[in-house]
Amino acid sequence: MHIESLDIGKGIRLRVLPTKKFKTVTMSFCFHRDLDEDYTYNALIPAVLKRGCEGFETLKDIERHMESLYGAVFDVGVQKKGERQILRFSMEVVNDDYLAEQGILAQAFYFLNRVINRPVLEDGGFKKEYVSQEKENMKNRIRSLVNDKIQYSLERCAQEMCRGEKYSRYVFGDINELDNLDSSKLYSVYRDIMQSSPLDVFVVGDVQPEKIRLLFEQSFSTMDRKRMATIPKTVYKKLQVVPKTVTEEMDVNQGKLAMGFRTNINAADEEYFPLLVYSSILGGGPHSKLFINVREKASLAYYAFARLEKFKGLMFIGAGIDFDKYDQTINIIMEQLDAVAKGQIAQQEFEGAINALVTSLKGSMDQPSQLIDYYLGNSVIGSDITVEELIERIKAVTIHQVVEVAHKVKLDTIYFLRNRKRGYVVHEKGN
Amino acid sequence: MLFMRREIKNDVLNERLIHSKLKNGLNVYVLPKKGYQKQFAIYATHYGSNDNQFMIPGEDKPMTMPEGIAHFLEHKLFEQEEGSVFDVFSKLGASPNAFTSFNTTAYHFTSTGNFYECLDVLLNFVGTPYFTDQTVEKEKGIIAQEIVMYQDDPNWRVFFNLLKGLYHNHPVKNDIAGTVESIQKITKDMLYQCYKTFYHPSNMVLFVAGDVDADRVIEQVERYFDGKGISKQGPIKKIYPDEPAEVAARVVKDKLPVPRPLFMLGFKDTQVGQQGQALLDKMILNDIMVDMLVGPSSDLYNKIYEEGLIDITFSAGYTGEVDYGHIVMGGESPDPERVVDMIYQEIERLNEQPWDVVYFSRIKKKKIGEYIKMFNSLENIGVQFVSLIFKDIGLFDYIERLMQINYEQLKSHFNRFFENNQSSVSIILPS
Repeated sequence: MHIESLDIGKGIRLRVLPTKKFKTVTMSFCFHRDLDEDYTYNALIPAVLKRGCEGFETLKDIERHMESLYGAVFDVGVQKKGERQILRFSMEVVNDDYLAEQGILAQAFYFLNRVINRPVLEDGGFKKEYVSQEKENMKNRIRSLVNDKIQYSLERCAQEMCRGEKYSRYVFGDINELDNLDSSKLYSVYRDIMQSSPLDVFVVGDVQPEKIRLLFEQSFSTMDRKRMATIPKTVYKKLQVVPKTVTEEMDVNQGKLAMGFRTNINAADEEYFPLLVYSSILGGGPHSKLFINVREKASLAYYAFARLEKFKGLMFIGAGIDFDKYDQTINIIMEQLDAVAKGQIAQQEFEGAINALVTSLKGSMDQPSQLIDYYLGNSVIGSDITVEELIERIKAVTIHQVVEVAHKVKLDTIYFLRNRKRGYVVHEKGN
Repeated sequence: MLFMRREIKNDVLNERLIHSKLKNGLNVYVLPKKGYQKQFAIYATHYGSNDNQFMIPGEDKPMTMPEGIAHFLEHKLFEQEEGSVFDVFSKLGASPNAFTSFNTTAYHFTSTGNFYECLDVLLNFVGTPYFTDQTVEKEKGIIAQEIVMYQDDPNWRVFFNLLKGLYHNHPVKNDIAGTVESIQKITKDMLYQCYKTFYHPSNMVLFVAGDVDADRVIEQVERYFDGKGISKQGPIKKIYPDEPAEVAARVVKDKLPVPRPLFMLGFKDTQVGQQGQALLDKMILNDIMVDMLVGPSSDLYNKIYEEGLIDITFSAGYTGEVDYGHIVMGGESPDPERVVDMIYQEIERLNEQPWDVVYFSRIKKKKIGEYIKMFNSLENIGVQFVSLIFKDIGLFDYIERLMQINYEQLKSHFNRFFENNQSSVSIILPS
C-alpha cells in the first residue's frame, strides 16, 4: 500500500494513505508523550477536550454536529506504546462521494482543530466542571479494569514485573494523582503538549495527499508550535531476572494465569522478525503449541495465548483455568517453551505460524484503524518498514533463527488471580 | 444446474450482491469487493441456542435437548476424523472461527490467498460431522472453562440476568453455552440428531465477500454438492413455549466483585410475530427511537451524564427477532435506580411533548452514515448479513427502508411501543 509522508515542520508529520476501497475517510491526530510522572495529566487531557470546544461548547453540541455529518465518529483515546503515551484525537466521516452533501472532510478538519486548539476555558484554565466530571469518570475507568479479568490479570502481571520501571504506569493514570489533581498544572501540561509534543497526523481513505495537506494547513495554521520535545527511548533490556510469583485472591469462578517474559528484543531489532514467529508458534492461534497442548490435548482452558509487547520487549502468556490446575498448566506451558528452544518445531507449526502472521498483516490493510496503528507503531520505534516489507522479512525467517531467539526469552513473573477459599468447588452453578 | 441466479444492486452503497439458489435449497450470496486483500466466507445454519425443542423431520415426537447443545456442536464440527480443521486452514494461511447466537450458528474464515481451496475446506468440514464418545468428553472440559469465564464477566452477567427478568419461558433467557451441568448430559448421538435436523443445505446460507469472482464461487459450491446425494428435507418444526407479554420479574439483583454497580434496563417488545419487511421497519424504528431517547445527543443522556450517573460505558440498542424482541440500555452507575426512574419519567414526558422533526432527521442521517460505514469491513458485513437473512431481510433492505421511514411513523411507533410498559431492570452490586 502506498503511503505519502509529508513533513510539515515543527515536529508535525502528515501521512496520507490514499485508497479507493474504503467508503470513509479516517483521520487521526496522535501526540507523543514520554510516560513520565505527568502520565495521569496526559491521560486526562483528551477526555476533557472531548467535552467541548469553541463553537461546540457541550457534549450535546458536538453530538448534534456529528449526527448532521451523517454519523461522523469523533473519538479520543490514550494508549501506551512501550514507555510512551500517545494522545489520540480522531474522526471518521463518510466519503463525500456517497452523500448528497459535499465538504464533510473539510468540516472534519475544522472541527478537530477546534477540539485540539480551542478548548472551553475559564479563569485561564479548562472549564472546571468538565475537569471535575472527567476526573471522576477516569477514576471509575481505572477501577473498572477489574471487570475484565483477562485484561486485569495481564495488566497486574506487567505492573508487578516492571516495578520501578516507567512501564508499570497504567495508561489511564493513577487514582491518587487524580484525587490531588492540580488543575492549573493540567492546563500547562496541555499547553506544553500543543507547543512541543511530536505530532503524527494520519489520513486514510479515497483522498488526494496534496489536498489533505492544504486542508490541514488551512485548519491548523494557528497552531503555536515552539520547540520539539525529544522523548527518551524505551528501556527494553533486562538481562538479570529472578523469576517471581504473585497470587491475588478475589471472588472469581475461574483462575486467570498471566506469565510475563523478557525478550530483550524490540521491534527495531533484526531479531524481531524471528521473535514474531517464535511467539506465534507458542501461542498465536489454533496452530500454536499452547492451543494444542493446553486446550486441545489437556482440556485445561478455553483460551491460551502468547502475545508480544514489541516496544518494551515483553511477551505475555495468558490462560483461564481451574484453580487446582495451576501447577499442571505452568508445567505444560514451560514444556512448550523448552520444546521451541530445543528446536522441536514441526514444519506444520512453523508454516502455520508464518501463515497466520502474514494473513493478519495483510488483513490489517483492509482496516483503516489497524493501518493507522501499524504506522503509528513505526513512528514510535523510528522505522519506516511497510506492511509488505515486514511480510517479506517474516517469510525469510528460519527455524534456526527462531531457536536462537527462544534462548533470549526469560521468565520474569507469574501472576495468578484465584478464588478466596481454597478447595471451593468451581463447577457449582454460578447463578 | 442452478435453480436461480440474480443480481441485487444498491446505488447509495455502490455495491452489488449476486444471489443464487442451489437445487438442494442452499442460498449462496457473493458481495464482490474490489481492492480488498482479505476474503471472508461465512456459512451459517438457522439454528441457535434457542432451538432446544424441535421435531426431527419425518418423526412425530418432539425432542428436547440439553441447554447449550448448539454451541457444543459448533465446537465439535472443527474436529474431523483425520484431525483438526485448524491444521488444514493453517496450511492455507486462513484463520477460521465460528460463533453460536440465539438463532444461528455460523462458521467463517478470513483468508488472504488460497480462497477457493479454503472455501472447499469450509463446506467440507461443516458438511462432515465426526463425533466420538472420547472427543465429546474431552470438549466438556474446554466448554466448562468457557462457561465459567463468562460467569466472571459482569457485563455478561448483567445481560443474562436481565433476560431472566424479561422472559418467563422463552429459551432466550438461557445462556448460549448452557451450564456446566447441562453440557455433561450431551452425547454424540444427540449431536448427530441435531446435526441431521438443522444442517441440511436448505436450512443454511453461504455468504462470501472479497475481491473474488462471483460466478466461480457459485459454480464451485454447486460442484461441491454434485453427487453428494443430499435428499430433500421437509420443513423443520421448532417448538417454543408460550411466552406471556408480562415480564417475569421487575428487578433482578446479583452481587459480584465489581467496584461499583452495573445495571441494564430492558423493555420487552410485546408485539412480536412479524418477519420480513414488517419486522425490518420495526427494527429501524426502534433503532432510531432508542437513539433519540438515550443517544449521546439526547436531553436525557446529557442530563444524567453531567450528573455523573452514567459515563462512556452506557449503551443502548434493540434486538428484534421473529418471536421476541427487547430494547436494552445500561452501563456502570453509582445509582442505577435513579437512572431508571429518570428514563421512565422521560418516556412519560415524551408522551406529552414529542420530539421535533429536526431531531428525527438528524438521527436518520446518522443511521444512514453508519450503515454506509459498515461496508468497510467484510466481517461486519458478513455477520450483519447472517443476522438479517434468517428473518427474511436482505442486506440492502435496511438502508432502502431506512431512507423511506418518516417522522409520523416514528411518533406512532413510540406511543405503541411504550403503551404497555413491560420493563425489567437487572442490577449487579459490589460484593
